[in-house]
Amino acid sequence: MKKRGIGFASVFYGTGYGNGFPDISNAIAELGMDGKITIYVGATEVGQGAKTILSQIAAEVFSMSVEEIIFVCEDTSITPDAGTAAASRQTYNTGNAIKIAAENLREEMIDVAIERLGLNSRVGLAVKNGRIFLKTFPEKGISFEEIALLVGDQHLRRTGSFTAQTTQMDEDTGEGAPYWPYTFSVYGIEVEVDTSIGTIEVIRSVCAQDTGRTINPKLVEGQIDGGFAMGLGYAIYEDLNLQKGKIKHNRFTNYLIPTAEDMPEVEKIFIENPESTGPYGAKGIGEPVTLAVAPAILNAIYDAVGIRIKEIPVTPDKLLIALKEKEMEV
Amino acid sequence: MKLEVVGKSVIRVDGLAKITGKAIYPQDLFMDDMVFGKTLRSKKPHAHVKIDISKAKTIPGVIKILTYKDVPNNHHGVLLKDHEVLCSKKVRAIGDPLAFVIAVTEKIAKRAIEAIEVTYEEIKGVFDPFEAMKEDAPKVHDGSNIIYHYKLRKGDVEAAFEKCHAVVEGEYKTSMVDHAFLQPEAGLAYKDGDSIVVCVATQYPHFDQLEIAEALIMPLEKIKVINTAVGGAFGGREDITMQIHLALAAMLTGKPVKTIYSREESFEAHSKRHPMTMYYKTGANSEGKLMAMKAKIIGDTGAYASWAINVLRKAGVHATGPYEIPNVKIDSYAVYTNNPFAGAMRGFGAAQVPIGHEQQMDMLAEKLAIDPITFRLINCFTVGSKTATGQVLEESIPLQNCIEAVAEAMNFSKKTEGAV
Amino acid sequence: MKVIQLKVNGGVYKVDIEEDMRLLDVLRDKLRLTGTKEGCGEGECGACTVIMDGVSVNACMVMAFQAEGKEIITIEGIQRKDELHPIQRAFLEEGAVQCGFCTPGMILSAKALLDRNPSPSRKEIREGISGNLCRCTGYNQIITSVEKASQYLRREEEEK
Repeated sequence: MKKRGIGFASVFYGTGYGNGFPDISNAIAELGMDGKITIYVGATEVGQGAKTILSQIAAEVFSMSVEEIIFVCEDTSITPDAGTAAASRQTYNTGNAIKIAAENLREEMIDVAIERLGLNSRVGLAVKNGRIFLKTFPEKGISFEEIALLVGDQHLRRTGSFTAQTTQMDEDTGEGAPYWPYTFSVYGIEVEVDTSIGTIEVIRSVCAQDTGRTINPKLVEGQIDGGFAMGLGYAIYEDLNLQKGKIKHNRFTNYLIPTAEDMPEVEKIFIENPESTGPYGAKGIGEPVTLAVAPAILNAIYDAVGIRIKEIPVTPDKLLIALKEKEMEV
Repeated sequence: MKLEVVGKSVIRVDGLAKITGKAIYPQDLFMDDMVFGKTLRSKKPHAHVKIDISKAKTIPGVIKILTYKDVPNNHHGVLLKDHEVLCSKKVRAIGDPLAFVIAVTEKIAKRAIEAIEVTYEEIKGVFDPFEAMKEDAPKVHDGSNIIYHYKLRKGDVEAAFEKCHAVVEGEYKTSMVDHAFLQPEAGLAYKDGDSIVVCVATQYPHFDQLEIAEALIMPLEKIKVINTAVGGAFGGREDITMQIHLALAAMLTGKPVKTIYSREESFEAHSKRHPMTMYYKTGANSEGKLMAMKAKIIGDTGAYASWAINVLRKAGVHATGPYEIPNVKIDSYAVYTNNPFAGAMRGFGAAQVPIGHEQQMDMLAEKLAIDPITFRLINCFTVGSKTATGQVLEESIPLQNCIEAVAEAMNFSKKTEGAV
Repeated sequence: MKVIQLKVNGGVYKVDIEEDMRLLDVLRDKLRLTGTKEGCGEGECGACTVIMDGVSVNACMVMAFQAEGKEIITIEGIQRKDELHPIQRAFLEEGAVQCGFCTPGMILSAKALLDRNPSPSRKEIREGISGNLCRCTGYNQIITSVEKASQYLRREEEEK
């Protein structure tokens, strides 16, 4: 018999290393001779989209397109340490560091522009599309290339550093401010349980994701879908099957992860509520997006068949045994 | 503020290289005169070990076989330096690295691996964290197997439970799982003058650089890490795998050395998500306000600490779920066993606890005859809330909006009438 | 050692092979076409998908000698001169790429699917790429990309 049920789960997730550990990101912004901006930063693109998100933040500072940003993150000898690509911290921490570096560079460029243009003040200046100009008289302006040419070999190059604020918790009570910011995520999931074979299919799913501010909607959607898949695997498939320390499921033939056929469509809702300490209000979402999936599935299974499965993954054999036990109780 | 680039679905800047097959992952690197490395790994979970490489090193084409004797400083690890680069006397988990063969071809390297004679003198292992916590349990390292205990104490839970209208209890278990990123670990290292260059796919190149420099006892600036395209990570590329082996191999042979893990070796080599056992007791008053929560969380970190301390800390802090609860008592423990080591994986301790706290929420809601959405709305964090650690949530706390948005999208009608 | 001849992305190659060599090794190690990836070595993940005589295969499951005389298309061969293939374009536009390791194989599976079924439903796309594992994207943006690519390709057909 096929039975359907709905389940919800909500979570929070504290960004960063936490607990007062110095959580530092460093970045360098440099004006190139071609008027493009190069960002040097030791932040890894693992597939999450760091290069794109962080380039967008730099581009925003200069009101220019992402194509004008050269992003260098691959070589430790020319990039400053930006911490690990983990703890959902790159958008928040390194995003801030890059924003600061880019703003420092922009101010420096404005200084050069003011001198060159013979202006008396910074008031009323705009920076846009590779130019610095007077808003009320745009002809009075200078391009980034010209600025680069003016400073010549000195190269305008500025650093930016951001250190997140957390405190160490009290050892006896756990009191303190261990993480910041917190990101929230809520899932609603409908499942269909086939009680004859113990399988679970996700019929419908909705995610409402707090992003602070969404830097790149498509990338956030991709994180939600990917986070859903990982949560689904965690809930109903994945187990290394350890036996005396030996991983029995050590190949894709027996360690099953979701395929395209296992994945449902996921309806996504972004909840924007800017975080004042985040770059343009943004928070990290890489981990939060996956956390509420498995518990929402478990709650949906209960709603469908009245069984609380307290051990994941909920494999068909486990579910069948539980269904049988319930039948015997009745 | 009007934003021009932020908020736009700008096309991924690394996308073009990836859709054309031009993105370079470490397995895609080739150099002239390149040789191959292969790791010999322990087949036993807990044993004293001796290895004899005399036969293996005479195989034609074998250039060098690295053992612990070749490693200047044989320790590494993200928090505690409890990993050996190559095991010296004892193995603590299946898959622990024992030797690194460098040969002219991968095939010869494999043959040499098989020709290395390993003598295991097995020690009683411990595979269950509860067993490992007992005083007389086999010790995985020197000292207690319990490496961390996080305590959170707020209010008086026992007194609060007495006054609760409804109380639910449960024991929840999560499995040990793998990141299963699609790109198995690979790397290439070479000498550049008196520097060593290591090309790998890592989450944190500057930390790898530091760990390599420390193990080789070389100045930091003489180590360069090139982070290639990374084929997924999810926490599984936080800890060192082959980075130090490759750097050492390049240093001692003077040749570019490449290694690629098979999928099976990848499963053995990198960290896992901590399996946790979580006891929960949660109580609410007749209005549906959460009054007390007690949780005890045991995390199995396997043979090495990796990030266990931070993971179990994060689990402890997040154990309440995003709800205000006036009385909370949480204890979380990280425990060594002879299982594969656990470390960072997407969620980092906050992935496990919702399996407990969210089922507790539904169980309580049912007992109180309140629907799960309303019950969450009654208790969820909002601006001005205090977490169990006493942290004031002063801005950007849109959880209520998230819950309401999901309920609406699911056409969920609140059934509050039954509420007491 | 044995010499085989095969056609890859339109070019004819003679390659020295060892008996235990796979097509994947020929492509990656001999021809240095490293766009074809190895994720599992046993035909489970699809990262090494290429098209052989019009059919998608896992290059790790095809022995090199079995590729003798065959025509192979890899990710390096689907571009049209300087222009992206419509599937590539759609993948880029719709965010189907994250870490990128499954991407080449995924694109070739999508191509094999669209070659035999020019307007697949989302369900048919799911089936069509079910042999290609992706750990990052949760597949949905890939499905959307394949849908979009099918529109691009149909439009091209109409314009002809």
